[in-house]
Amino acid sequence: MHEYSIVASLVERVGQIAADHPRAVVRRIHVRIGDRAGVERVLLQTAYDTFRARSVCEHADLAIEAVAGDELILQRVEMEVPDV
Amino acid sequence: MCEDCGCGDPELVSVDVHEHLLAGNNRLAEHLREHFVQAGVLAINLMGSPGAGKTAVLERTASAFAEKYRLGAVSGDLATDRDGERLRRAGILAKTITTGSACHLDAKLVHDALHEVPWRELDLFFIENVGNLVCPAIYDLGQAANVVALSVTEGEDKPLKYPVIFERADLVLLTKIDLLPHLDVDMNALRDAVRRVMKAPAIIAVSAKTGEGMGEWLAWLEARRP
Ligand SMILES: Nc1nc2c(ncn2[C@@H]2O[C@H](COP(=O)(O)OP(=O)(O)O)[C@@H](O)[C@H]2O)c(=O)[nH]1
Ligand SMILES: [Mg+2]
Ligand SMILES: [Zn+2]
Ligand SMILES: [Zn+2]
Repeated sequence: MHEYSIVASLVERVGQIAADHPRAVVRRIHVRIGDRAGVERVLLQTAYDTFRARSVCEHADLAIEAVAGDELILQRVEMEVPDV
Repeated sequence: MCEDCGCGDPELVSVDVHEHLLAGNNRLAEHLREHFVQAGVLAINLMGSPGAGKTAVLERTASAFAEKYRLGAVSGDLATDRDGERLRRAGILAKTITTGSACHLDAKLVHDALHEVPWRELDLFFIENVGNLVCPAIYDLGQAANVVALSVTEGEDKPLKYPVIFERADLVLLTKIDLLPHLDVDMNALRDAVRRVMKAPAIIAVSAKTGEGMGEWLAWLEARRP
């Protein structure tokens, strides 16, 4: 179940990205997963839902775009940043 | 939305990342690859199901190359050092990487293990991955080549059922061919299935028991030495 270790590094990476934006709340994470990427999309979603609690991704949905090929890409991170 | 100061509407920020989900692993794998290339070590990532005969092939390889090359290995094992013991008995400088619950090796596990193997002095370095046809496939370990061991007892359909690992293989070793007289397996169908999924089909049939086919495998390895 390497989907769990992939989610662990995903959450860590999103944490680094969010850290550049003080008090940001991560709302949505976009990933692209190819059909030959060696990752089960359903398992990835399950692993994410298990992992997100009490992490920087707690309030973030994971949007998985299914594509052809071996892509395994963190595409975009959307955050709400308080307007100060 | 802003609970701290109540200053108004939050701003939506969208950060384009466009980065591989395993970017961290891939960077470390490139670093490992540089190590191996600079030291002139041929690193092979050997994958396959549990019991496919990975350790047996390495044992036989070690006895054939004993006078000629220095061999080292790390082997991923969920809990035991059994493969490590077998490989050391065969004359390979081997270290077991205990993965616990992890079903694959990653570049960090391999890099950490290098501290315990005199890898710079080796000619060939084998990474015996955790027995599994799914998870190891997508982790780059800095190897020069991916080899998948598939025993003739596993069935003709396995390449089609687990295409990703075969797609990324540089060589498929069909193992335990000494057992063919006892099996109903159709070797042509098996070879066909492998050819359908591999990008550049390369197949060598071997028996670690009788030594059949081992010459071709040893030559394949030698041809890849830096
Ligand atoms: N008959 C026969 N048995 C083999 C051969 N290679 C391995 N085996 C047996 O298959 C089992 C699994 O082998 P092993 O090397 O431990 O597989 P690994 O889990 O892939 O490392 C052992 O009982 C071996 O003795 C072979 O070429 N011929
Ligand atoms: Mg083994
Ligand atoms: Zn796994
Ligand atoms: Zn290093």
